[in-house]
Amino acid sequence: MITLVVVAVVAVLLLLAAVSLYNGLVRRRGAVDNAWAQIDVQLRRRHDLIPNLVETVNGYAAHERQALEAVVAARSRAVGARTPQDQAAAEDALSGALKGLFALAEAYPDLKASRNFAELQEELSDTENRIAYSRQYYNDAVLTYNNAIQTVPANIVAGMTGFAAREYFQAPGEERGPVQVRF
Amino acid sequence: MLAWTAAAAALVLWLLLLAALAVATRNPEVAAAPPTGELAPHSPAIVDLITGGWRLCDEAASATLLDLAARGAVRIEEIGPELSLVRLRRDPGDLKPYEKLVYDHVRSLAVDGVVATGALAEGSRNLGRWWKSFRRKVIVEARALGLSRPRWSRAQAAVLTAAAAVPSLAVAVAVTVSDDEHEGGLGGAVVTFALLMALMGRLNGERGTASGARAAGEWLGVRGHLAATGRFAEQPAASVTIWGRHLAYAAALGLAPRAVISLPVSVPADDRRAWSDYGGMWHVVHVRYPRRLLWAREPGPMLFRALAAGFFAGFWTWIVLLVVSAVGLAPDALVLPCALAVAAVAAGVPLAYAIVDLMGKVVVEGQIVRLRRFRVGTKGNDDPKYAHWCAIDDGRAREVKAYGIGADLWGSLSEGEKVRARVGRKLGWIHTIEVVERSRLRGTAGYDDTGEHRVNAPENLGEVRIFDTRQE
Repeated sequence: MITLVVVAVVAVLLLLAAVSLYNGLVRRRGAVDNAWAQIDVQLRRRHDLIPNLVETVNGYAAHERQALEAVVAARSRAVGARTPQDQAAAEDALSGALKGLFALAEAYPDLKASRNFAELQEELSDTENRIAYSRQYYNDAVLTYNNAIQTVPANIVAGMTGFAAREYFQAPGEERGPVQVRF
Repeated sequence: MLAWTAAAAALVLWLLLLAALAVATRNPEVAAAPPTGELAPHSPAIVDLITGGWRLCDEAASATLLDLAARGAVRIEEIGPELSLVRLRRDPGDLKPYEKLVYDHVRSLAVDGVVATGALAEGSRNLGRWWKSFRRKVIVEARALGLSRPRWSRAQAAVLTAAAAVPSLAVAVAVTVSDDEHEGGLGGAVVTFALLMALMGRLNGERGTASGARAAGEWLGVRGHLAATGRFAEQPAASVTIWGRHLAYAAALGLAPRAVISLPVSVPADDRRAWSDYGGMWHVVHVRYPRRLLWAREPGPMLFRALAAGFFAGFWTWIVLLVVSAVGLAPDALVLPCALAVAAVAAGVPLAYAIVDLMGKVVVEGQIVRLRRFRVGTKGNDDPKYAHWCAIDDGRAREVKAYGIGADLWGSLSEGEKVRARVGRKLGWIHTIEVVERSRLRGTAGYDDTGEHRVNAPENLGEVRIFDTRQE
């Protein structure tokens, strides 16, 4: 009888521990999803700003076709990316293309003086900064989550309930950490 | 006896005079006006002062920042549930002195024009002085608007001071009469006078004027309106984009605790949750201060401590085992080997750690995120004894263990400095530390009261004196 009670108590304690661990993992996974949603919002904001920018630059420097097309193509790739790694690589390429475009603008005083262009440049710069912070926030959330599902004993619960490691928001070969782009 | 009775009577009379003046100068009754959405042209900090019984609360600084955001001087953006940013927008234009104080604090922390809201508690300012300065500036404006005044007028203060001389003299006479050998009369008079002045100062402070009470009543009407129409308690600071100045006033009126807590402008930085801008972006670093059993210790003294630990552990084990074997619970042959084994373990681990740290140190490069000292006991002469800690964010992890450091080195450092330190890996002790880059926050505090705002309004003492700058 005593053995049965002890076994029952141990089983209940184990169950409670498993439930607690499971809930912790769910919270951390939710934090990762939330952080990804924040990145998504900022990326969409940037993608939405780019057509206006291209339109504005086109009005002053129409013959800079190559730079404009590079931005448009990079944007298309970024919009079509699916996984965090692909997205990060596409966004880095888009940042590079935008940098090139802003460098070109230096040669067009009328474009530089355009209020619309200045506002777009500032808006994009702010958005880049927000993306950088969102990226850091997301990667921190992924680090916490991945650590949680790989440490004992949470890894047992994670393995039984299908918690899988998440990808960092970083291009292949890129170091994880703050990435700041300044236009 | 007669002299002491007279002194006591004089004291009682003075206290009655003080009580009468205190009652006569108490804050006016504030009657809340009917709920209204109309905002009078007072700033949130002024609103906080006059609706809080003429005492400024911590919320005032956060409400001021929200107001700056609502007016476009800064922008508050939410990145995630635990991360929002304050972004400097443009030249803020004409700001009131206390608004400029808040703006300058944000600007001093900003990296590329951005600071995380949680990091607003960071910086090298002296928080006590900063808050005093903020409070003084708000009071100056409240007085200029006729909403507030000091409790004691000049005349009342003069009467109380002059009247305090009577019981002081009476005490002097009583002391002299009762003990003519020691001539303690003068001392008794000085002490009595000082105590009475301290009591008088203690009761001093801001009090509302009639127009201040009217304004406070109107703002309580606004409070009723805001409490009924918006769920401000749940709004994050970033919702100022939607709510505008209403959120700032809700914060000042105590209706927006979530927004206020997320903007720790006037609260001290957390010991264990630091914000670091190492690497160019603000991020949280959790700081641990491990138990000092085998951490934050110098390796040299640790050698002796290890030997002492081994000796005492072995000795007491030997004694216990002797007793146990004497009653036949353990074989005699095991007593000495067991005692030696315990001694070896107790001494071995710290010895090994100390030797490893003496043989070689690791170099840690990063930014100092926390410099703290905690009391760990007293020295022989009853002076407090402190353990000094230095936490360095090297950019590799979001959780760091603070290292122990000598008091001399500790005193020469400042939070925010980029350093290169040689550290014992096992015992976590900083042997040498070199400042690679000075803290950009050092010396940025622009709230020196001898500068732009010449005003004296301590919490309870004295009155606000506004010096005419044109005469200087």
